Amino acid sequence: MSKLKIVAIDDEPDFIATLKDYFSLRGYDINVALRGATGIELVKDKKPNVVLMDLKMPGIDGDEVLKLIRSMNPSPKVIFITAYDDGGKTRARLLDMGAYAYFDKPVVSLKLLEEAVNKASQS
Amino acid sequence: MINFYGYCNLLAAVTNLSVAFFLYSRGRGNKLARIWSFFTVCVAIYGFGAYMASGAPTAGRAFFWWQISYAGVIMLPALFAHFVYEFLGIKRSTLVRMAYAVCLALLVTDLASKSLFIGHVSLKFEGSRWFTPAWWVYPPGPLHIFHTLVLYFGLLTFVVTKLIRAYKGSDHDKKIQIKFLLIGMILGFVGGGTSYLPCFNINIYPVLNFTVPVYTLIIAYAVIRHRLMDVEVIIKKTLVFAGLLASTFAILVLPTLVIQEYLFRGATAGGKLVGLAMSGVIIIVTLHRIESFLTTVTDKYLFQKKYDYKELLRTFTTEVLTVLDLDKLLQLTVDKLTDIIKVKSCAVMIFDDQEQMFHIRAAQGVKDEGLTLAKSNNITAFFEETHGYISVRELEDKKISIHEEIEGIIDRLNAELMIPMVLHNKVIGILSLGKKKSDEDYTQDDLGILLPLSRTLAIGISNAELFDELGKTQAEAAQKEKMAVIGTLSAGINHEICNPLGIARGQCEAFLLNVKDGLYDNKSPEELLGKAKEIMAKVIKETDRATAITKKLSGFAKPARGEAELVSIAQEVQDVLGLVSYELRLEKIEISKDIAMDLPPVFVDKKQFQEVLFNLIRNAGQAVGEQGKINIFARQQHGKVVIDIQDTGSGIPDDKIKQLFNPFFTTKEPGKGTGLGLFIVRQVVEKNGGRIYLKETTVGEGTTFTVEFPVSTAQDVKV
Repeated sequence: MSKLKIVAIDDEPDFIATLKDYFSLRGYDINVALRGATGIELVKDKKPNVVLMDLKMPGIDGDEVLKLIRSMNPSPKVIFITAYDDGGKTRARLLDMGAYAYFDKPVVSLKLLEEAVNKASQS
Repeated sequence: MINFYGYCNLLAAVTNLSVAFFLYSRGRGNKLARIWSFFTVCVAIYGFGAYMASGAPTAGRAFFWWQISYAGVIMLPALFAHFVYEFLGIKRSTLVRMAYAVCLALLVTDLASKSLFIGHVSLKFEGSRWFTPAWWVYPPGPLHIFHTLVLYFGLLTFVVTKLIRAYKGSDHDKKIQIKFLLIGMILGFVGGGTSYLPCFNINIYPVLNFTVPVYTLIIAYAVIRHRLMDVEVIIKKTLVFAGLLASTFAILVLPTLVIQEYLFRGATAGGKLVGLAMSGVIIIVTLHRIESFLTTVTDKYLFQKKYDYKELLRTFTTEVLTVLDLDKLLQLTVDKLTDIIKVKSCAVMIFDDQEQMFHIRAAQGVKDEGLTLAKSNNITAFFEETHGYISVRELEDKKISIHEEIEGIIDRLNAELMIPMVLHNKVIGILSLGKKKSDEDYTQDDLGILLPLSRTLAIGISNAELFDELGKTQAEAAQKEKMAVIGTLSAGINHEICNPLGIARGQCEAFLLNVKDGLYDNKSPEELLGKAKEIMAKVIKETDRATAITKKLSGFAKPARGEAELVSIAQEVQDVLGLVSYELRLEKIEISKDIAMDLPPVFVDKKQFQEVLFNLIRNAGQAVGEQGKINIFARQQHGKVVIDIQDTGSGIPDDKIKQLFNPFFTTKEPGKGTGLGLFIVRQVVEKNGGRIYLKETTVGEGTTFTVEFPVSTAQDVKV
């Protein structure tokens, strides 16, 4: 089985570094971006199976990135990891728009996140 | 032959002699009082001599008494000059010494000589009716003329010019005293001078003679009380006295005259005595009534005390009762009452619901400002039960003995009159007034105005208390509003707190999982330690980041203390932006600020100032929506610090502008705003001495709100 490809987009460098460390150590092919725009380029370039993404970012937002990804073919699965909490409204909206999963920060468990990534790549 | 003016002179003699005695005994150590007491003795001698002369049966007797009378008159110019010099603070004047020397020499001559002063005595105005009876006159001798010209006209004119000259450079008090001296002097010397007009062949009856006793009294009163009294009170006293004198005179003379003329037919000693005795009885019986009648009359027609009442009412309705700050209201009440009614002391006690006690909240001239009265203590129980007043004078008059405890309270308050302030049948306070500076009693007229005034005061005090409560309620509303606003901030703040927490947790969890999954098996202990160190440093950095924002938030959420301090605009804008910026950043709202470098601080409640900025910036943020701009400008202009908060939002439609500052007015979606925002913002701004207004708004382009605060002064800093 070829390595699972992941692109992570988040404006928090330390968080992105955590993800990179965690997934690369476990044999995933993970690429990271700090901005929505560079993230889209990465997605286009690397054609990942899964995109891990923050919602609120300077420049292009998670919302827009999701829309662009959804218009791609093949379209990677998008998992949101965000500290934006408005009582579930945004979560519902993003899932409606075709996001695969939604994690609140701080992520309850990286293990769970990894499981979600694996599940997403298989579906 | 009985003579009106003779009796007038007798009265002058008696009053002056008593004044002399009074001044001499009371004015010990006061040189002015001493001189004046000698002066009044001389006037008394003059009066007595003139009285005796006017009733003298023979020319020889008249001559003798005129001689005695003039002996008193001779000394007057020297004494008056001495008095004025002493009054003006001129010591050891040669002029005064010379005047004494000349007058003493003349005195001896007068008593020794048979013609140098008083010429051949004869009756003038003979055959006149009984109210202008015959008057013994004499041609003045050469020394009499010398004395009149040199001492009366010359010396007195000189002294008067000295007084007038001193008047210009004097302070208020001294001016009043000089006014007295001049008024007294004109009354006395002009009135008294008329006695001599017939002697100089000017045949005017000496009708103005009665001013002589008045004159000495005016000055005597001023001498004793000149530090305590103002001109109004003394002139009033004098007028009352003059009226009293006139009435006494009339009472004294009329019955005597009637009895003498019609019952005894002639000036027999017995007739005189019976007449005098009757007059005496009438005077004793009626004097007090006449005095109070005269006081009322002078108050009413001459001093227009009614205007004082008007002033009292005007002051209270326009200046005092409109004050909503309780402490200021009470202080003003005390100040104005003291000022207008001219009382020596005044205090307002207010009932404290919590402590169930009356406390002095404002006072002047009170012995013990820390006095407290318990709720049903002797005095307060009286007020609570009767709602009536306590007048010390009335109690004394009615010989009602009062409890020692009450006496003590009255003494500590220096009270003469205590009036309860009643509202809705509850005594909310006590107004205590001391003696009037004029030493007059409180009249029914006074009570007629003071009792309703105290009821009105009760309403004013209750208003101020309610307003204070309202202020507290408003502060609570402001706090609730703030908390509500903080609630709506949660998205931004949550984002800002959860991000660092996410990093910290992720770093730790990843390390543990890596160890557990055997991913670090090939690492040396040094490498693992290095990794752990790296993670811990990150965790510390991120927890610090999260702590900082919670600190900012809790600092902001604390209720305002309501205390003003010097506040830097730049610092506060910075702090508030620190808090709202997360949300604004999430909304991608651009913020710029332009705060003048040399902007002075303002003297406001820091927290409240933050609330104002916070609300305005947040409102602007909500108005602009995504991608908008908020600009904050602050500058100094005309002694004020002016802060503009400008947004590029939707603007406010014309029909909504008027309602902007109304409570519960909102254009936000339901649930997004309580509507109290701008209403409370305005209350808070005004409470801090500032002003807020809508500077400009254009639908579709944006809105600018302006807040102004006065630049702090050195006085603020001291506070």
